[in-house]
Amino acid sequence: MYRTLHLCSNRGGFEAVPDPPRPLDLPEARRRLTAADVEFVDARVMLIATLEVEVTIGQSGRLLFKTPDLALAERSFARLRGLLDLPASPEDARLPSEGVPDPGRR
Amino acid sequence: MARGVMLMSGGIDSPVALHYLLRQGHDLLAVHMDNRPFTDDTPLEKVVDHLTVLRERYHQPIPLYVVPHGSTQVTLMRNTERHVGCVLCRRFMWRSAERIAERENGTFLATGEALGQVASQTLSNMRQATASVRLPIVRPLIGFDKHEIERVAKEIGTYGISTRPGVCCQAVPDRPATRSNLLQILREEEKVDVDGIIDDCVRRAVQL
Repeated sequence: MYRTLHLCSNRGGFEAVPDPPRPLDLPEARRRLTAADVEFVDARVMLIATLEVEVTIGQSGRLLFKTPDLALAERSFARLRGLLDLPASPEDARLPSEGVPDPGRR
Repeated sequence: MARGVMLMSGGIDSPVALHYLLRQGHDLLAVHMDNRPFTDDTPLEKVVDHLTVLRERYHQPIPLYVVPHGSTQVTLMRNTERHVGCVLCRRFMWRSAERIAERENGTFLATGEALGQVASQTLSNMRQATASVRLPIVRPLIGFDKHEIERVAKEIGTYGISTRPGVCCQAVPDRPATRSNLLQILREEEKVDVDGIIDDCVRRAVQL
């Protein structure tokens, strides 16, 4: 599953990484982006997709959203998760946009 | 004094190196290798701001050429071994800078490299990168340590610009080679059209 977004080391963008580490199937990601008509640069070991912001999609599964604006990064992250069918993070269950939380859950 | 071409990255080192050359009275023009989409817009913005500071300080025009380099990175990543990517990238940067220098009657190239700071700046990798061009490469900061460079950057007013948030180069491999040999590098370059790539980059270069 993916951890939620955090600032990258140079503070210029937000990144999300799979935890535990899990490589991404890049050929499949290529196919899905093409099917969704998303513009992207194919650099073999990474894809750079243009969503609401530019996103680097690495072979390791690391995603880098090139914006210092968290709201923009979150929207692109949500769209990319849908496009690539990425596993959600545990924090997602607590987000109101993800549905009504289970009342029995603590 | 001689005319030279300074490679400017937007980082801390290159404006400091430029400052030392300008202080000696050399006539410099700047080249920025535009690495988008492997970076964001911030390196170019930083270079523009660095040059504004140094133009005012030295009353020199310091023309800036912006050379597209992202497409070169894509070609290298698709066709060559990843671990020597930084050395290959550097060789293509030098070649483009040399072409601009020849066009502008420059007699030397310059950089803010300091020995051992990053993977591309080991003696071995610098040697392989340097072997791609004929013009001499001047490295005013070669023996400086990080703290000395930062101190001067603060003195001349470029440190705050360099350390603004930005996305660092995404094309750097996970395990970049710190030692390389020229034969290996030349074999990798045989997989791509070196002259064609440089022709294309220099043709698309713009002066700001």
